[in-house]
Amino acid sequence: MALRSRPRSTRLLVVTLVSVSLLTITLDYKEGDSGPLAGLGRTALSIVAPLQEGVTRLTRPIGNFFSAVTQLPSLRDQIERLQDENAQLRNQRVLSVSELHQLETLKHLADLKASLDPPSTGALVIGSGVDNSEWTVEINKGSSDGIRENMPVFSGTALMGHISRVATNASMVRLIIDPNSKVPARLDEANTTGLLVGQGEEDLKMLGVPPATKVSVGDTVVTSGYRLEGQPTGIDPPGRVIGTVSHVGGGGSALEKDITVRPAVNFSTLDDVLVVLSTGSG
Amino acid sequence: MRRTLTLALVILTAIVLQTTVFADVRLLGAKPELLYLVTIVIALLEGSSSGAVTGFACGMAQDFLLNQPKGITALTLTLLGYAVGVTSQYIVTQSALVPVVMVALGTLVGVLFNRVVALLLGQAEASAYFVVRIALLSAVYNAILTPIFFPLIRRLTQASTKQRVGRW
Repeated sequence: MALRSRPRSTRLLVVTLVSVSLLTITLDYKEGDSGPLAGLGRTALSIVAPLQEGVTRLTRPIGNFFSAVTQLPSLRDQIERLQDENAQLRNQRVLSVSELHQLETLKHLADLKASLDPPSTGALVIGSGVDNSEWTVEINKGSSDGIRENMPVFSGTALMGHISRVATNASMVRLIIDPNSKVPARLDEANTTGLLVGQGEEDLKMLGVPPATKVSVGDTVVTSGYRLEGQPTGIDPPGRVIGTVSHVGGGGSALEKDITVRPAVNFSTLDDVLVVLSTGSG
Repeated sequence: MRRTLTLALVILTAIVLQTTVFADVRLLGAKPELLYLVTIVIALLEGSSSGAVTGFACGMAQDFLLNQPKGITALTLTLLGYAVGVTSQYIVTQSALVPVVMVALGTLVGVLFNRVVALLLGQAEASAYFVVRIALLSAVYNAILTPIFFPLIRRLTQASTKQRVGRW
């Protein structure tokens, strides 16, 4: 008896579960970020976040030890990287001096002080996204610390991503290498703006740069502070480092220059980050 | 009751491990898909209906922590759990390789299915090359982890079903 009823009840079960899944997909699609399902998602995030924080605090020192061991044979690489970083920092200092002048002028020109020098809060990276197709990390600060969606997040002084989802005690950061990430940027030397789009593990792609622009490998790319269409909040503070040009292509016949940009942030070793609490009022 | 709790604990552990430890320990840039692994292993151990229910729970848990339309992973894993459960009825050999091969194949097919559904819903922006590469890598990674997780999950689920009451 049980043997005969088993396949049918199993099939019924599977059909029910599949229907519920489809219903969830439809509901979520219609609701967007405001409905009760999104609320449930935020609740799930705030439940898992403390666990992740615990595990991360426990395992990160171990992980750091092992990655240090595996890096031993490539000490030369490390030195090279440090030299690169050194050069970049020097570059940055020159940049920040000129930026300071610019800032002063701007401050005088318009009363923009608040939006140019926004408050920020430090946070700890406690986990990464669940799935392989998105490049996100989770941090241990949320809406109770004043964090809202689209706020820019920095690692050191370089831009690493934007807040994509907020719970009370944790939030998700979409890294700039995520294919869904779009950052308005400026080539510092050429003073030309464009749009940086993530390409996952590969370097960022810079779109919208005219072919006549003079760009060379090693040029610094900074935030332009422009607002993206359909993004009410979260303007990046202008002039912050994103990365350096790693490849320039595209002949004279191309409509735009083919530029890739290597991020200044090392995304495999994210630890302490800084969220700029910019309200984007400017 | 005890079973449900055990299952919830296994899923929660898988999610936390997936987002913390295995976020740092990658195989050529790919993370394992621990929730696929859990679904397939439970389906192998307990059959199609258990597989479907576990898959559904795993998928919902993962979806609500993700930023994509909720329900896609639940749909994938429900079908995957059911399919693996049904397939396992036709496998007679007791070889220890069975779970490894099933996990590898299941993960590969499951991830590809998931990405295709996401694509149809206008959510996937990655290239086909990338999707196939990630599906293959996570399948291999899951297969490598199977010898560790399969006995662990088997022991946990068996301990919680000493006195079998229902049959879901």
